[in-house]
Amino acid sequence: MIRKTIKIKNKLGMHARPATMIVKAATKFRSEFKIVKDDIEINGKSIMGVMTLAAEFGSTLDLIADGIDEEYLIKEISELFDNKFDEE
Amino acid sequence: MKKIKGVSVSGGVAIGKVQIINQNKLVIKRHNIDKFEVEEELTKFEDSIEHVVEEIDLLIENISQSKVNKDILEAHKMILKDPDLTANIKKSIKTELLSLEKAIKLHFTDVIELFDNMENDYLSTRSSDYEDVAYRLLSHVLKQNDHLSHEINENAILVMNKISPSMATKVFKKQINGLCMEKGSKNSHSSIIARSMNLPMIVNVESIIDAVKDEDLVILNGNNGDVIVHPDDATIQKYRKFVAKQDEEKSQLLKVVDLPTKTKDNKKIPLMSNIEIPDEIQQVRKVKSEGIGLFRTEFLFMGTNKLPIEEEQFEIYKKVAEECYPNPLVIRTIDIGGDKLTKLLNIEHEVNPNLGCRGIRISLKYDLIFKQQIKAILRANLKGNIKIMFPMISCVAEIKKSKKIIQECSDELKVNKIKHNPNIKIGAMIEIPSAAITSDLLAKECDFLSIGTNDLVQYTMAVDRDNASLSEYYQPSHLSVLRLIKMTIENAHKENIKVALCGEMASEKKYIKLLIGLDVDELSVSPGRFLMVKKEILNTNYEAAAKLDEKIFHALVEV
Repeated sequence: MIRKTIKIKNKLGMHARPATMIVKAATKFRSEFKIVKDDIEINGKSIMGVMTLAAEFGSTLDLIADGIDEEYLIKEISELFDNKFDEE
Repeated sequence: MKKIKGVSVSGGVAIGKVQIINQNKLVIKRHNIDKFEVEEELTKFEDSIEHVVEEIDLLIENISQSKVNKDILEAHKMILKDPDLTANIKKSIKTELLSLEKAIKLHFTDVIELFDNMENDYLSTRSSDYEDVAYRLLSHVLKQNDHLSHEINENAILVMNKISPSMATKVFKKQINGLCMEKGSKNSHSSIIARSMNLPMIVNVESIIDAVKDEDLVILNGNNGDVIVHPDDATIQKYRKFVAKQDEEKSQLLKVVDLPTKTKDNKKIPLMSNIEIPDEIQQVRKVKSEGIGLFRTEFLFMGTNKLPIEEEQFEIYKKVAEECYPNPLVIRTIDIGGDKLTKLLNIEHEVNPNLGCRGIRISLKYDLIFKQQIKAILRANLKGNIKIMFPMISCVAEIKKSKKIIQECSDELKVNKIKHNPNIKIGAMIEIPSAAITSDLLAKECDFLSIGTNDLVQYTMAVDRDNASLSEYYQPSHLSVLRLIKMTIENAHKENIKVALCGEMASEKKYIKLLIGLDVDELSVSPGRFLMVKKEILNTNYEAAAKLDEKIFHALVEV
């Protein structure tokens, strides 16, 4: 299991498009994927889950992946956050 | 033969065969199941998801050309394949013994409520996606034909109870003859599009669905609101002649589409379009308009009780600006009356809204809304073809304040490192006499002026243009109005800036020569009137029109 803490760097926060990008990327992998914000844990492969996080600019999230390809999953998802979802 | 009276929202006559489109409410009759039915219900669920996903794939392939539509449909697919959705619905079926339809409904009701209650505005507007998906899935499960899978017959006259925006988008892509609705209103999404396409449409036609059946011949007279059901032969003959004449006129107008817009003596008069909703852009392109001279932004308040947000506006402005490029797009900031905002902003009821807090007055008073709009515009202006226009300007101070706010918005965007283009041309609407009279000063502060004749006539003549009993007092060609227009144009030209005219006066054939003679630089009209106006410009001799105008002014003085 890998756990990684990341910060939301895109100004608009977690709106529909980034949520779609995360789910699309995550569902390519076999590992389980969860996102934790404050005390809320959601399924990172669920579009509804990711959208309901309503994570805003500057907030912190924990990405948790568990499975054979967990490393690749975390790498790809972190890149999305780092690239600010191609917004700026 | 029977005549049913409705309200015409788009003129012209149409004859055609009825196609009734029922958009029924989905009714759930089966709520619970027995234990032995669980397996069957689960299989049905998986099959339904698969079926609806395929249906959406088909839509993506065939219907949607625009990227925005595609993204939405992709998101819908993702919602259907959501593991949480699957788990929740399966659980409800297995443990609570709910029927599939009931389980779907419960799940989506919960989700939609969750989104509606969110503080983040952008997300709370997403609940409509869930509503769409729920409708699609449920209508499949209930084997009631989904409205979106209806095949629309060519040249049909569609008869329906009401029409949703998503249905409208599909309908207007087909070659139909007209629309007839039991409900509806003049300013709805579909009515606006029908007008810009010159497609006859009549609303508020009582019990029309019961009065006709599929394939019946029906006549729509969009010029007076009559719907003629089961017409006799003589009536059919009469209207067929009318339609033939109408078609002939249309094909004559189509001949001018590719010609440059200039007078007989080669004075160029750029002709642009007025639009009310983004979807009209298709029509704008079809008539080859030289840009959008007036993009009204009141649609942001259509069918919603929420204030518009920056992100949503940004996407829309960006898209329309791209579609227009390299031609200009003039966005008019919100020109909503206080009456419409009362609910949203807790504004006190006004006794006389026309002379109340509207247009720029609202924007300056509630600068949060104004700033969101300005920021969205500055961000969308990456190609540099957007201009901003302020409505209801009555004095120079309002322009100065607005410019200051634009500067503030640009600074704020800069601090937050958000990409935008601060170089934007600004203009004032000249629609209040005080603005026309001080247009020499306004011209010094603006990059262009645009005359809105509807309000200018109303305020100059002190007559409500919607009051039919006063129509004789509503005179666009009254000497007072013409003097104000002339004065505005002369003052603008002294400062070397251009004047456009975007009121309804520009789309009335009898006034076009007059306006060209007054030296107006550009005209902007609704897409439905565009070609008619263009033809009239091509038929005008500018020098002759200018001389005639001098005579008219003398004649009016002597009356």
